Amino acid sequence: MLPGAALKGLVLCAELALVVLPLIVGYEMAKAYGVFQRPWKRLRPALAMIGLGPGGLVPLLAGIFLGLLYGAGILVSVSREEGLAESERLALAVFLVTCHAVVEDTALFVILGGSAFWILAPRLVMALGLTAWLARRGRSRN
Amino acid sequence: MPAEHTASAPAGPPWRLALGRSFERGRKFLWFLLINILPLYVASDLLVTSGALAKVSGFLEPVMSLWGLPPEAAAVLMAGMLVNLYAATAVAAPLALSWQQISVLGLILGIAHSLIIEAVVVRQLTPRYHALTLLRIVLGLGAGWLLALVLC
Repeated sequence: MLPGAALKGLVLCAELALVVLPLIVGYEMAKAYGVFQRPWKRLRPALAMIGLGPGGLVPLLAGIFLGLLYGAGILVSVSREEGLAESERLALAVFLVTCHAVVEDTALFVILGGSAFWILAPRLVMALGLTAWLARRGRSRN
Repeated sequence: MPAEHTASAPAGPPWRLALGRSFERGRKFLWFLLINILPLYVASDLLVTSGALAKVSGFLEPVMSLWGLPPEAAAVLMAGMLVNLYAATAVAAPLALSWQQISVLGLILGIAHSLIIEAVVVRQLTPRYHALTLLRIVLGLGAGWLLALVLC
């Protein structure tokens, strides 16, 4: 029983490593080439819709792709440097607690046989919906 | 400003630095799998195949059936919410769940995982981190319930 379990456990670890190691290299490459630092202008209207200014893009991307823990460094330091307003920080927090580390988290359950669409799409829709609702409420108050 | 990082580091093309960092992180990650995830998988496998987990969790059946899940999946939810998704994966793998059940678990836990440690990060963004942690649990369980209705 024990050797069988250990063997199956090693297979699971190998599967996890095969998925996550390339992701780690991808993150590091993207980071080294400044992908998370590019202020993509076309996204500004979309950002405004969810209550974020242009300064919110980098922390948002860091959270969505790197996750709250790995992205924490960028997330916290950039939102301080850019002087994000309190409402922007709340929007960022609400979006990211609902939807972050989308590649890694989804991959883990896809390895076990889950559906990537059903795991990811509802989270994205909820994150966008909640932040857009917050932003609208904020605008109608002012 | 982005150049500051590379200026202080030893010279080299960005990809080489990135590979170096990946190697370091990859090594830590493999170590993490072997030290934490492997033993957790073995423990979970033994608890599942011996029937102990089913016995202990049996009383949860009416609750867990709301999400179309077997009572043992409560252990997966606990591992994911309190520890992290890797722990949840290790506990879930021996359970022989359907793709619908894995998707429901993936959705619930995708939203609500590592609640304690991630609250520390959320706190840096907003003082309302308690409310946000509660939001994650409610959203996660709510979304999972709806997904179970759709898929099962």
